[in-house]
Amino acid sequence: MNTRKNINIPKEISKHFSFLKTLILYLVICDLGIGLLLVSFNSLIRKNNQKLMSDVCSLVTEKLESSISHMTGLAENMAAMLSAQAPDDLQALYGQLLQNDGGSEYVSLGLIDEEGRIYATPTEQSEFEKWGLLETARLADPVSVSAPYRSGKTGQPVFTMFVDFTYGEGSRGYLFLTYPLEEIQRMAYTEVLTDDVEIWLMEAASDNIIQCAGPNPYSIGVWDNAKILFGELIHSGYGEDYAAWKDKMDAGEAAAGLTYRLGGESYTQVYSRIDCMHGWYVVVRIPSVSLSTAIQQFRVRVAVFVGFLLIVTVGLFLVSHRREAREKKVLENLSIQDPLTSALNRRAFDFTADQYLGYLGKTLKNEASLLFIDVDNFKHVNDRFGHEAGDRILTGFASALREIFGEEPAGAAPEEGGRGPALRRRGGVRRLCPHVQLRRGGVSEGCGRSEEPGGAGRQRPVPGEGERKKRV
Amino acid sequence: MKRMAAVLISMLLGLSLLGCQERGQDETGGGQASRSAPDFEPLNETVDGRRNIYLIVKNLDSSYWQVMIDGAKAGGDAFDCNVYFSGTYVETDWKGQERLLDAAVEAGADAILLAPDDSVLLSEKIDELYQSGGRELAVVLLDTMANTDSYDVCYMTDNLMAGQQAAQEMIAQLKKSGASDSDSLQIGLQLGAASSQTISERLAGFFKYWSKNAPESWEVIPDIKCNDGYLDKAVECAEELLEYPNLRGLFGTNNSSTRGFARVVREQERRDIVVVGFDYSDDIAALIQDDTYRASTILQKQYEMSYAGIEAALKRLDGETAPVKFVDMGVIVVNSDTIGQPEVQEALKHN
Repeated sequence: MNTRKNINIPKEISKHFSFLKTLILYLVICDLGIGLLLVSFNSLIRKNNQKLMSDVCSLVTEKLESSISHMTGLAENMAAMLSAQAPDDLQALYGQLLQNDGGSEYVSLGLIDEEGRIYATPTEQSEFEKWGLLETARLADPVSVSAPYRSGKTGQPVFTMFVDFTYGEGSRGYLFLTYPLEEIQRMAYTEVLTDDVEIWLMEAASDNIIQCAGPNPYSIGVWDNAKILFGELIHSGYGEDYAAWKDKMDAGEAAAGLTYRLGGESYTQVYSRIDCMHGWYVVVRIPSVSLSTAIQQFRVRVAVFVGFLLIVTVGLFLVSHRREAREKKVLENLSIQDPLTSALNRRAFDFTADQYLGYLGKTLKNEASLLFIDVDNFKHVNDRFGHEAGDRILTGFASALREIFGEEPAGAAPEEGGRGPALRRRGGVRRLCPHVQLRRGGVSEGCGRSEEPGGAGRQRPVPGEGERKKRV
Repeated sequence: MKRMAAVLISMLLGLSLLGCQERGQDETGGGQASRSAPDFEPLNETVDGRRNIYLIVKNLDSSYWQVMIDGAKAGGDAFDCNVYFSGTYVETDWKGQERLLDAAVEAGADAILLAPDDSVLLSEKIDELYQSGGRELAVVLLDTMANTDSYDVCYMTDNLMAGQQAAQEMIAQLKKSGASDSDSLQIGLQLGAASSQTISERLAGFFKYWSKNAPESWEVIPDIKCNDGYLDKAVECAEELLEYPNLRGLFGTNNSSTRGFARVVREQERRDIVVVGFDYSDDIAALIQDDTYRASTILQKQYEMSYAGIEAALKRLDGETAPVKFVDMGVIVVNSDTIGQPEVQEALKHN
């Protein structure tokens, strides 16, 4: 056991102050603080993203709706012009329309009369029969749009728009315009989101879905089924949310939104009913990454900044601690040492004696002793040789003690008034007397010993030594 | 020192709270190709000075594609050109077809007849060859469309329509088998490949017709199986679906799915099950020819596709532009009622 550990004053003072413990506590608090900050930050971002994505989805669907309205508006204007002409011969009118075809976005156009006769190319006529397009035409009020199908002319998916008009003696006919499905992608084009936004047309009854826009331009026109496309979502924890979303679509609600998380990515998905395309809906899906890239960069920068601050703070902590430790050491020395002799003062003696004797009482039993030395008649020295000489004697005496008991006279303390040190060190007493033989002037030394057990406070003369008073 | 390490670890833990999420990258690439595509082989006698036409099919092991190869050979003989052929062994090996496309161009192909393994993933390659060949190259698509304009003409089944016809046949056969509108019956579906546009269109057509015409109490089992083109897996999927207690019908969207259904239904002697599928294999033929089962298959005209493809490619090389880019070859529904019809017998000669 290291006895010095139990009585070292700086250690005793610093026993309740552990820098490392404080530092670790600080870091733990910082960790928790940063963690909470990031969690709340992420939560806010997520909420913000969901709102933004929902808004963007709504904007895209509104843009598509207005574009479809624009297209149907053009068709209605054309039909109004045809009605104004009140033509009798639709074959002639069809020829006139083909001649005036100015390379618009549509693939083809034609006419249908009241009896269902179709004025179109043979390929288009066969497609009317194949896809039951006459049935869709008769739904026009004033406009209707067919489900997508593959055009023989282009080989690509198209949809056909019908608008009614009057001819002859108030007969009702239909003008039709066939557009490529890519036209929807063009209408939905949004520069910022073009790589991320996915747009489908979805039929509620069959769950059929056809892609109109997406990250891969070659995937436009690809058919799928919502049960398969959203299969992972349906079987995830968001399955009920999806079912509720789909129920709204099945019930014919105009629009509904859905947010979910799949494969580490958040999505917002919105549908909007297409009134002129019976049973069909526009579905828009946007992943959170499309909106949060900038925010994620900001989050990384904040994190780096906070991390840098943390490191700087810890560095300052360390520098401050070392400086404080040095200053503390100086102050400690000043508070416990006699400035003249550098021996421990009365305060340090009281503290050390209390600690040491308490320790001795518990452990060493009979083997401890306390030696005290009284330097008498010091006034004569001062009077005769001056205070400077007295100081030299005290300094020399302390040096002699240090020589005997070591460089750190931690247990030696001069009595109040500078009269002399008390000693602690096992075995030191026997070595003391042979060295204390100086005789200069009229200074005498009183030396006594207190032994354990018997109480640390009880003093009795050291046998053979305690009665000696040497002239110094 | 340990304490300082603990402090540093603590700091790192703090920084780790910044969070980083793992992002998995799923590169399916060329699918599960068991064997790589072989080099091209001539289909007919190679004569110098004739046009060289290269045919690339989806599955060299399949009888369906063998019929298409036969049609191309007949076309080569009829229209006086050299025809070479190759293909992949799995219908998802689009990377293998990419390599074959490059090899055909390097070998000096005048025209390529391609049945794309993937309508989306091969489109860029088709664009590249068609638009930057530096010389005239005719591209004719067979059986499956690619999502690009970079081809001259495509001969295929309109799969959206074929899917509708399959649903129509399923409803008709279920009713013939005694199912009433009030029965709570189920039908099971199996795909050959989830990413195949051909199959997706058939499925879309099927659902389109089914949703409008099937009684409300007739349900499609939500667990739609996928065999990825493997017959063994198709059989496993069929066995799983046959465990549904209310199952009354099975629809196979391609050859492997239909074979799997037909084989398991026959093995388990499930005469209560209606099977509707695509293409004419020994398995479905055995079921159709046995009056005790109720089975139908949608027969495509793959022989005519490649034959017409050879003719169209040569016309294109002669400077003639096809009037349309997509020709629907139509289908024939084969079941125990129609199998004796002359038109069906004629079509079966090429199957």
